[in-house]
Amino acid sequence: MNTFNRCIARVLIVSTLGMGMPASSLAGIVSTDQISGGAGRVQVKSFLDRAEVQAGLQALGVDSTAAQARVDALSDEEVASLADRIEQMPAGGTDVLGVVLVVFLILLLTDILGLTKVFPFTKPVR
Amino acid sequence: MVRLAGTPAAAGVLLSVMLLLAGCATPQVAALLEQPPEKLPRQVELAAVPFYPQEAYQCGPAALATAVVHAGATTTPDALVAQVYLPAREGSLQVEMLAAARRHGLIAYRPAPQLRDVLSEIAGGAPVIVLQNLAFSFAPRWHYAVAIGYDLAREEIILRSGTSQRLVMTLSNFERTWARGGHWAMMTLAPERLPATATEDRYLTAVVAMERVAPGPARRAYATALERWPHNLLARIGQGNTAYAMHDLAAAEAAYREATRRHPDAADAWNNLAQTLLELQRRDEALTAAQQAVAIGGPRLPQYQATLKIVSESR
Repeated sequence: MNTFNRCIARVLIVSTLGMGMPASSLAGIVSTDQISGGAGRVQVKSFLDRAEVQAGLQALGVDSTAAQARVDALSDEEVASLADRIEQMPAGGTDVLGVVLVVFLILLLTDILGLTKVFPFTKPVR
Repeated sequence: MVRLAGTPAAAGVLLSVMLLLAGCATPQVAALLEQPPEKLPRQVELAAVPFYPQEAYQCGPAALATAVVHAGATTTPDALVAQVYLPAREGSLQVEMLAAARRHGLIAYRPAPQLRDVLSEIAGGAPVIVLQNLAFSFAPRWHYAVAIGYDLAREEIILRSGTSQRLVMTLSNFERTWARGGHWAMMTLAPERLPATATEDRYLTAVVAMERVAPGPARRAYATALERWPHNLLARIGQGNTAYAMHDLAAAEAAYREATRRHPDAADAWNNLAQTLLELQRRDEALTAAQQAVAIGGPRLPQYQATLKIVSESR
């Protein structure tokens, strides 16, 4: 089923490629993004990356409308940095409580030594 | 060494290595304290920066709301959850923090990865969002906090962090956690305000990235950039492009004309001027501009040729 879905998605992506292309790729205004990114920017690549990142966000629990808006807010460069790698990127979200006891003690020690800062209540030695 | 593993001796070695490490001053703090920037105040605290205690894993939305509201936009951590939080990762990605700030019409500026730059920005009145790895490189605990103050004499930094409204850390302790976060930092600024440590490239990168989602604020930011760097071609063309995107063709023409006057070899500016003049029904002037772009050429020559073709065939 998953393979089937992916296959459908690919067909859809290819068949709708032309729809999302800015007219500026043919004539008219040269975008600021184009100038700052140099001439090597491939818009088809960016379009595919956007579809991939949006799918990635949805797979990580974001609903489809929000995912679309979030991808739209990213620059081409940022989209390229995420494509393929959403799973590996740091996601800041530490819950400062919930740590198990052993880890707690080690981290407490390293906190006191000033190497880490997991607990708000520690005062490191100077 | 392997045989020692698990013995009290191993623990002793580990402990002494740690003590040794802890005793070392961190490189950026050492450099900063040895030679603080002349204009940097010794002590600053932006007490007016709001505080949103973090819920569960949502330090990203909380930190972002802190900075965004301080910059003058309206939002709440709850509203930002839908823009930056990833439920399955229980966290927020750095690029999404930047993107969400832009969606609020604010410049998402990335200062240089230097403690002195972060402190300079705080002194300039901007709270700085920082990514910390609170634990180890091999077992990271990523966390966003907002730096709002420091005290050089006490060697301390003050953060809005998690559920602490005023978390005081030693600068060295902070630098270690921040270094493990890749020295990543960002600020959110109204488009009329230049960062204290702004460089041409860094500032314009931030503005260009904003054009897609917020052309109006981006246009104002280009004006801010041109005040400081009047010769910047990218900002000049960006000013024209944002005006064009907002259907203000007269302003777009003026910006492109100024760009071609200051930079006669800027083919992109000539090309965009041609397109704008064409839409203003001034075909003859458009033709001259389009021919100029093609004559100069460059990597985007096919695009200039396409524009010239459309101008020639119009009417």
